[in-house]
Amino acid sequence: MASPSASDPQSPVASVPSAASDPSAASVRGLDLRLPGGVHALRGVDLEIGKGEIVSLVGESGSGKTMLGLSLLGLAPAEARFGGEAWLGDTEMCAADEDERRLARRAHAGAVFQDPMTSLNPTMKIGAQIGEAAASREAVVEALEQVGFPEPARRLNQYPHELSGGLRQRVMIAMAIVRRPSLILLDEPTTALDVTLQRTTLRLLRRLRDELGMAMLFITHDLAVAGEVADRAVVLYGGRIAETGTPRDVFTSPSHPYTAGLLGSRLALAGGDRDEELETLAGEPPDPRQPPPGCPFEPRCSFARAECARELPPLVPASRHGGSDACLRSVEIAPQLEEGARAARRSTAAADVAPKTDESSAALTVTGLDKSFRSRRHTHRAVASVSLAVPAGGALALVGESGCGKTTILRIAVGLERADRGEVAIGSGGRPQMVFQDAGSSLTPWLTVGALLEERLRGQGLDGEGRSRRIEETLTMVGLSSEVATTRPGRLSGGQRQRVALARAVIVPPALLACDEPTSALDVSLAAVVINLLRRLRRELGVALLFVTHDLAVARAIADEIAVMAAGEIVERGPADEVLERPRSDEAKRLLEAVPSLERTWT
Amino acid sequence: MESAALGQEPVSLGARRFRVLAAIGPMERVGIALVFLITLVALLVPLIAPHGPYETIGPAYQPPGHYGLLGTDEVGRDLFSRLLYGMRASWFSALAVVAAGALIGFAVGLLAGVRGGWVDTALMRITDAGLALPGPIIAIAVAVALGPSLVHTLIAVTVVWWPWYARIVRAEARAIVVRPHFDAARLAGAGGLRLAVRHVMPGALPAVVIAASVDLGYLILTLAGLSFLGLGAPPPAPELGAMAYQGLNALFSFPWIPLAPAVAVFVLAAAANMAGDGLRDLLEDV
Repeated sequence: MASPSASDPQSPVASVPSAASDPSAASVRGLDLRLPGGVHALRGVDLEIGKGEIVSLVGESGSGKTMLGLSLLGLAPAEARFGGEAWLGDTEMCAADEDERRLARRAHAGAVFQDPMTSLNPTMKIGAQIGEAAASREAVVEALEQVGFPEPARRLNQYPHELSGGLRQRVMIAMAIVRRPSLILLDEPTTALDVTLQRTTLRLLRRLRDELGMAMLFITHDLAVAGEVADRAVVLYGGRIAETGTPRDVFTSPSHPYTAGLLGSRLALAGGDRDEELETLAGEPPDPRQPPPGCPFEPRCSFARAECARELPPLVPASRHGGSDACLRSVEIAPQLEEGARAARRSTAAADVAPKTDESSAALTVTGLDKSFRSRRHTHRAVASVSLAVPAGGALALVGESGCGKTTILRIAVGLERADRGEVAIGSGGRPQMVFQDAGSSLTPWLTVGALLEERLRGQGLDGEGRSRRIEETLTMVGLSSEVATTRPGRLSGGQRQRVALARAVIVPPALLACDEPTSALDVSLAAVVINLLRRLRRELGVALLFVTHDLAVARAIADEIAVMAAGEIVERGPADEVLERPRSDEAKRLLEAVPSLERTWT
Repeated sequence: MESAALGQEPVSLGARRFRVLAAIGPMERVGIALVFLITLVALLVPLIAPHGPYETIGPAYQPPGHYGLLGTDEVGRDLFSRLLYGMRASWFSALAVVAAGALIGFAVGLLAGVRGGWVDTALMRITDAGLALPGPIIAIAVAVALGPSLVHTLIAVTVVWWPWYARIVRAEARAIVVRPHFDAARLAGAGGLRLAVRHVMPGALPAVVIAASVDLGYLILTLAGLSFLGLGAPPPAPELGAMAYQGLNALFSFPWIPLAPAVAVFVLAAAANMAGDGLRDLLEDV
């Protein structure tokens, strides 16, 4: 294996305590990656993954974490230009040709990607699909047994669409381990799963590592997931490592301001004041086409000094723990970071005024709701005699596992779906609106933002000038500049699209704003921005919220009341804190138990 | 803190478009250029043709070079001028059928795709019935019933052509109405027509443009074939198919008379096909 090159910008290499003498499962040295269009995705990354080690790569979208994983497997886009080295086993993947890379992958690597449905071939039986990588039928059955797939021998002939999301994910994992690779790349493997499935998958991965001794590179944007699964956490920012160390060190005593900021914008299940604004990171990640010459975090960093904008900080032993950080001032600011963590728990001067809830009138009343979906073979009862109410200006969160009927209730409440039985009454005010899970796809791609917003102003008795003024005001309210009105959604970033979706929903204040998992696809800091925005809209416009999520921490952050659903019914209902502190139903206990939590992992 | 401005960094699509344009092969580029050229020439034929299409300029069967660029036909008319007028007629006829077919197809397909339910079922059964009609036989029937004329032929071809477009639009519309942006538009208060025209139609447009551009070449051949069989404008109208047929008995003595219109048909169809391929690459990649 080659030694670190002399030009290595981020020496010393983050060392692996357990595997110091062993050859590593994979390593990258000074890896630099440029994509066509001037995108500088990786800028000198050093990382060694020891045998049997689980390394979690944490970062926001655009931080380069996926590119790092793909480069290691030799799957980076063909047009990519590399600097440095990426070793998988004894093959250097950057310089290797197609055949060598394929052989190295076959010999040493497996991969699991985010969406198990699109990663599996829908026309192939799962047995045959896993069999493409395996030597024998017995090996396939064994792999499926190892991932806890029920009755593997009998179900080899099933197609992916016959399986639930959780089982499909297991098939993907079985495919990844069937060859006993030394490294498995997992790219956001649990992001599309609900919390209980996520918990099961994380446990399964740890068990597989213990039993089979494979190293894993676990890519995620969720700090708590990283904390739960990994032996070592690597925080990536702007294509460079910002901080690395054991998850406990990095996530309880961060020594890089970026890590500290991310941790500050996380949602907690307990403690703190729910009406308080969440801390968010100012600004957006650097443009990967024009990375700043100095520290990539400098433009957003409240501790930045002049030298930060000039010098690229090297990765040095961390100021607050045994790992490394890449911050020029980490020693100086260590006391402030520690103080900051404590201050985050205290109330700030700009504390929110508690939202006004008017219990006397209802924004939404639903009584005796029934809804079934019929397919050729059977009838699925999605919602079974559900009654609920949201007071004007109030906020109710519906929580439950995927398939429990929560989204169906939401769609019926706003009028997108019709109930089989039961009544829906909407309070006075504008017609109900909805914020969809994927804000980007809820914006008509060929219309400009202005046209999308203007559509809702039709019939409001506004003239052209009044409309454009209203559009401008609303865009400002959600934190966008008025120039956005002339652009199409495709040109906006994920966070901007989410804001546009919110702006469209509230440009005429609705009696009820229904939200379908509006934060589940977002990075931590962006989720905090959206939650703050929702709270503010509620406070300033008196909009009532009906909120669907499988994440109890998000429910707590937004809702006054939580209703827990299972199999189409509401099994528990009460004030948010009460449900979280003293859950009565099994379902609530299970959901609560499954939420990955940094606090619980180490206390 | 919370209104932390998200960076105003619109992603430029310009570079990507350029790359896609560069990805179109040389044949396709020639096709697109030819289509523009043909359309321009077709528009300007009355100005650039040396003679009128019915004008006798000299003795019959003059070889190319005498009496005009391509000589004269069996009645002594300028072959080159008649060829230009014939191309103009073929080109605009094909465009007219495609345009009419796409228009009807959009109306039917959008209605079926957006409304769904029994409207969809009823319209699609009618469409299927249209697809089952044999084109040339319908054209013959129309010619027999109404008398041979270019307009009648075009109507007959359109009758069997629009169902393809209705199918395409309907399929695209069905795929679009299940996307969240359609639900979001419904919630925003857009009514039926507005939903169909603003939130669905632009999404179906690329597929229709691709189909239409690929169809153009096929239509030129079909129309020329019908005209060759005497199902177009009656003589002496300058039509490529009819000209080839009338010149047929001179094939061995004066081969350029039937071959010139045949070559013209080939050039039109080939240009349209190549342009269609280029357009497909362009629209499918974006």
